[in-house]
Amino acid sequence: MLIWSKSKLPVMKYGFIIDNRKCIGCHACTTACKSEHDVPLGVFRTWVKQVEKGTFPNTRRLFSVLRCNHCTDAPCVEICPVEALYTRPDGIVDFDKQRCIGCKSCMQACPYDALYIDPDTRTAAKCNYCAHRVDVGLEPACVVVCPEHAIISGDMDDPASEISVTLARHQTTVRKPEKSTKPNLFYIDGDEFSLSPMAAEIPEGNLWSAQARGVGHYARYTERLAWSGEDVVQELLEKSTVTEVPTNGELGPTRNIEVLTGQHGRRVYGIPDKGIMWGWEVPAYVTTKAIASGAYLLGLALFLSQAERNWSLFYASLGISLVFLLLTTALLVKDLDQPKRFLYVILRPQWRSWLVRGGYALTLFGGIATLQLAAGWLGWSEVAEGLTLPGVFLALIVAIYTAFLFAQARGRDFWQSPMLPVHMLVHSAVGGAAALAMLEAFGALSLGGVPAQVLALGLLANILVVGIELVMPHPTTDAKAVVKMILHGRYRRAFWAALGLGNIVPWIGLFWHGAEPAVVVAAALLALWGIYRLEKIWVEGPQRIPLA
Amino acid sequence: MPGIVEKIAESIGLIPKLHRGEDGLPRLQEGSALQNYPPPERWNDWTEYEAKAWPRREKRTYDIVPTTCFNCESACGLLAYVDKETGQVRKFEGNPYHPGSRGRNCAKGPDTINQMTDPDRILYPLRRVGKRGEGKWERVSWEEALDDIAGRIRKALQEKRHNEVVYHVGRPGHEGYMDRVLQGWGVDGHNSHTNICSSGARFGYAIWHGHDRPSPDHAHARVILLISAHLESGHYFNPHAQRIIEGKMNGAKLVVMDPRLSNTASLADYWMPTYPGSEAAVLLAMAKIIIDEGLYNRDYLENWVNWQQWLEAAYPGEPVVFEKFIEKMQEVYADYTPEFAEKESGVKASIIREVAIEIGKAGTRFATHNWRSAGSGNLGGWAVARCLHFLNVLTGSVGTEGGTSPNDWNKFKPKFFDQPPAQKFWNELHFPREYPLAFFEMSFLLPHFLKEKRGRLDTYFTRVFNPVWTYPDGFMWIEALKDEEAIGCHVALTPTWSETAYFADYVLPMGHASERHDLNTYETHAGVWIAFRQPVLREVARRRGQNPRFTYEVNPGEVWEEDEFWIQLSWRIDPDGTLGVRKHFESPYRPGECVTVDEYYQYIFDHTPGLPETAAKEGLSPLEYMRKYGAFLVEKSAYLKNEEPLNEAQLAGSTTDPKTGVIYKNGKAIGVVVKGRACVGFPTPSRKQEFFSQTMIDWKWPEYALPTYIKSHIHPENIDYSKGEFPLLPTFRLPVLIHSRSGNAKWLYEIANRNPIWMHPSDAERLGVRTGSLVRVNTDIGYFVDKVWVTEGVKPGVLVCSHHLGRWRRPQDAPGNRWATATVQIDEDGQGGYRMRQLRGITPFRSADKDSARIYWSDGGVHQNITFPVHPDPISGMHCWHQKVRVEKAHPEDQYGDIFVDTNKSMEVYRQWLAMTRPAPGPNNLRRPLWMKRALRPVDEAFYFPAET
Repeated sequence: MLIWSKSKLPVMKYGFIIDNRKCIGCHACTTACKSEHDVPLGVFRTWVKQVEKGTFPNTRRLFSVLRCNHCTDAPCVEICPVEALYTRPDGIVDFDKQRCIGCKSCMQACPYDALYIDPDTRTAAKCNYCAHRVDVGLEPACVVVCPEHAIISGDMDDPASEISVTLARHQTTVRKPEKSTKPNLFYIDGDEFSLSPMAAEIPEGNLWSAQARGVGHYARYTERLAWSGEDVVQELLEKSTVTEVPTNGELGPTRNIEVLTGQHGRRVYGIPDKGIMWGWEVPAYVTTKAIASGAYLLGLALFLSQAERNWSLFYASLGISLVFLLLTTALLVKDLDQPKRFLYVILRPQWRSWLVRGGYALTLFGGIATLQLAAGWLGWSEVAEGLTLPGVFLALIVAIYTAFLFAQARGRDFWQSPMLPVHMLVHSAVGGAAALAMLEAFGALSLGGVPAQVLALGLLANILVVGIELVMPHPTTDAKAVVKMILHGRYRRAFWAALGLGNIVPWIGLFWHGAEPAVVVAAALLALWGIYRLEKIWVEGPQRIPLA
Repeated sequence: MPGIVEKIAESIGLIPKLHRGEDGLPRLQEGSALQNYPPPERWNDWTEYEAKAWPRREKRTYDIVPTTCFNCESACGLLAYVDKETGQVRKFEGNPYHPGSRGRNCAKGPDTINQMTDPDRILYPLRRVGKRGEGKWERVSWEEALDDIAGRIRKALQEKRHNEVVYHVGRPGHEGYMDRVLQGWGVDGHNSHTNICSSGARFGYAIWHGHDRPSPDHAHARVILLISAHLESGHYFNPHAQRIIEGKMNGAKLVVMDPRLSNTASLADYWMPTYPGSEAAVLLAMAKIIIDEGLYNRDYLENWVNWQQWLEAAYPGEPVVFEKFIEKMQEVYADYTPEFAEKESGVKASIIREVAIEIGKAGTRFATHNWRSAGSGNLGGWAVARCLHFLNVLTGSVGTEGGTSPNDWNKFKPKFFDQPPAQKFWNELHFPREYPLAFFEMSFLLPHFLKEKRGRLDTYFTRVFNPVWTYPDGFMWIEALKDEEAIGCHVALTPTWSETAYFADYVLPMGHASERHDLNTYETHAGVWIAFRQPVLREVARRRGQNPRFTYEVNPGEVWEEDEFWIQLSWRIDPDGTLGVRKHFESPYRPGECVTVDEYYQYIFDHTPGLPETAAKEGLSPLEYMRKYGAFLVEKSAYLKNEEPLNEAQLAGSTTDPKTGVIYKNGKAIGVVVKGRACVGFPTPSRKQEFFSQTMIDWKWPEYALPTYIKSHIHPENIDYSKGEFPLLPTFRLPVLIHSRSGNAKWLYEIANRNPIWMHPSDAERLGVRTGSLVRVNTDIGYFVDKVWVTEGVKPGVLVCSHHLGRWRRPQDAPGNRWATATVQIDEDGQGGYRMRQLRGITPFRSADKDSARIYWSDGGVHQNITFPVHPDPISGMHCWHQKVRVEKAHPEDQYGDIFVDTNKSMEVYRQWLAMTRPAPGPNNLRRPLWMKRALRPVDEAFYFPAET
């Protein structure tokens, strides 16, 4: 695929300058890009965000060309499990749709909203600096079309190039430098109101356009509307507009800049909302994964702690673990826009991605657990027990790797919490304990009520962890906005229900009537529901924060 | 490179092999530098990688063929990339050899590909079945259509019904072509859209110096003053925007007058949000400051302005000396203080003063532009351009480097192989006696005239022209178009369905940018250029040694082009030559045979100064050169052409008026003596800049003999805010759309698809509405229901709404422009009342283009123009677009997009405005001043009313 090699080319680093002194907001770059790459309706590789600020007559409309920043430390490249996104030796961050599995993690990792799902190929795409043109010696299409030469491309490692000279002589700014992505797109006269997505109020719809249906990943619902003829199918409509444009009230300090400048800004053009990329499948798989790892960890801990080995406990915990591991895998595959390529995670691995590491952990863990099960069944008890050490190690990784994956999703500030691994571990404990406690309550096992006790402890820990995650001071506007959304905004009811019914109520039940099988079963079910609901909020909420 | 795991997995077939060796193409140059275009020597055979396949290195080889854009009127250069394998156009980029656009485009250029591949486009000639407007069509052949239409015209000419044959054009973009055809037929049949567009400003310029458009040299200016939005729209958006920013980057100050925060105003150094219609007051205040502060250009004023004529006429007996001129000007404009201007406009006097001083300091480097905007919005709007040009005259920046030239200096006049004589007819449906000074045809009154039975049309061509939607009073147009008595046959020449084409007898598909021939030349900057629009697939066929007879043979379906259509039609009108038409369509190279489109252009290019020599250097004929490069720079720069000396041949037999210095020949002024030199001067009676206009006096408007401020019909005196009244500005365009030509461009419509009413927060609070609220906007003849957009970007007390959106089709109409059109129902009450309601917004649909199923917007905006009555300015004839409206919250029964119009009221308002005119005849029984330009100028004799009138 990559026919050039590093040795052939001198050192190169392509970058962009957007000169806002000259940009007239005409959208020529947008359509030239659409034409060059035949980009489907609804999604954009480059666009011109517009923001109005000030009060009459001291007011302006600001234009900002937004697109992939071709970061030196590109989070999308780091998180991509299959090297579908990669950095070329000339600095261009390119992508290969043939490799992409449609996991959409790049869309969570990119802090700039540069990626989308192409409804034609059902794979991720973005600005690739027109690499196909660069490789024949032509400037990107947007650069060529721009009436004002407000977009400058070129090699920043060549000190004589226009881009190098311009960079040297002007004050420039980049988007979100705090993300330490080292963007290679620089703005002259960049304005905080435009470049910081939370600085300007986001009204319903743009001045000249309004979104009524889903795009990109959700374009399929819009398409169904076309195929269904003239009828407007309300259900489909609702489904395809799963995202709601966040409004001020909900997000709280959306106008954080206002405090600084006394000004008021409003976005008047932005691209259509792409929707929630990680839907219910992700919290569901986090939950099944918690059960799988928790059941193994707790089950085998109890199994090994008893001198008299309880082999039914052994089989039960491994069985639960494997069943939920399978479910986990199924959910993972289902979430892919290219489900048939799910094996690529294992077979075309990009090792820095926690999706790959997690995928291998899941696979190896499944393998070990299966071996243990087989060894136990064959009566090779030493082998069965001996594999526990690597099994536990892998189970721990399975339990918490998602926290590292979320941390790699650098676009989502709220997921950057150092508590997240603990959070995952506690969910694992709750999940495993709930599963074993139910088995005991049904009389399938006799474990002296330990799982129920662990469940109670786990719930307490969970309340504590969730509390810390929300109360702990958050360093960024985005993260704060999510907390506000959870505690006071759209997730308020869902959150308190999950915390109350899914954590506090079962804990009280276990505390008072922990020996009552019915209470244990109810508490365990409520606890599992609680995990799922909390994860759903944790996964979905941050995705509602605009990135551009 | 693949890792070990992947290698193994691929080699044992678990996953497909993605790593294949592919040959790379060489780069255009060594190193990392990039070029903007493939070099022209490779345009016959250019190979690059297909972006869609990337990172697979799939090679595609193209024929690159230049043409020009057909969206707005700028005619920017395009390069069509025609895939050698599929024969299809893959994409359009800019043409680096086009002197106006210089390889760069706005958003509309690349979108030409959408327009070509629009699944709703009309591919074959259609003839109506059933009643006109019923929505039923049958396919016909070009032969049938040509024979039928030619037969009608032949009959009309034979029966001397010349005035019943009319060609009505939107934006022409075919330099001189149709004038030649119509004069070849001998008819006064040219009707245009100009009086709903630019006539106001044109008149303001013409009354000064005969030329009717400005050509600012923005790139070299020190102050640029725009009463326009040229960084986002207008004549000529992209070329002008390039040079305005260039000037700005070189230190020019940008001043913009606009009540709304246009994108242009946003980038201005001085935004002057004038109350609409007050612009002339502000300009005169600035003129006063320049005069009072002595910042005027004495040399220019003294030599190039007809001040002596004024002093003699207005102050007989007083000395005719320059100081007196200044003194009298100070007297005349004494009341135009900045404070008065502030009262009228709302712009602070201190800013007016500051800008005036900047202008004075800029001197001859002062570039200005007024095209539509205030000039087209207000009663007396023509005075805005007149007062603006006054500033250019005062600073001596007319035709200077960095100044503002007359458009004609930067526009090429092609030489045709045959120039038919001027027609002997005067069509009163176009130039009625009430409007002797109307700068163009009173085209928007056509339905009213037809209703008054002032005439009828036998054959009416609408050419890429959509008055039902674009014009005011659209229901009057529907009535007229449905009246088969008034209009015998309506032929719509159009690339795409339109609200007007639905009411045609023939819908004849015409090509887009890459599917037609045209010659373009525009005053985009201080040079002169021509560009060649050509059917690119025909050129590709030619490169392959084929020679299609007609363009429709290579275009999609049977889409044709007008150039060939008119030649063929003309040939059939007069097959035997008895009508005198045929001879104008005979080849200059093959006597007696029908001219071909290639011959037509060959002749023009052979006779374009400098082109044959330049072409010869490359071993090409001029036509081949234009086919290859698509454009040619005729003159690099053109300044001060008024000072061009008259040569001896011109002077032979001339006489010079000793007092005025005007040089006459054969009874016509041909030049003027300035500083002892016989110069061409300006095409006015005085051959100078006419500060004082005897013409205005002669034609019964003595109060406007000098540049004056005329209060608009929407002056605050006429607005009662307590009743919810507002002025509404409906005139502005968006950078991504172009009237009704862009409804077939999906990438443009996804960026802009609705047109809410901008309202200042203070007004919104007063009315109790917020962003998204529905309001009913009542005009003098009806109302429309639209959403409100509350913004700080508009002057308090002023509403603005772009006319660019609100396209529609009825359920019975052929599906057209479905990216843009809402489906509506129109109910007539039979008494002149029309009600329109949206049945459905924009909806995804199935087609060969997958994107049509993904249309994610449903709001297509509201059609406001159809609720506007006609407002003909009594002098310029311009439709004064601004409306006094009454805004109220929507009624409970109102729905978004609702429209109601009472055409009885339309006629009432028409008559009110008609009553403001001071009809011809003028001096000597003239219909119109002889010196003034007229579209499709007839013989001089036709300018006089017949003796008995």
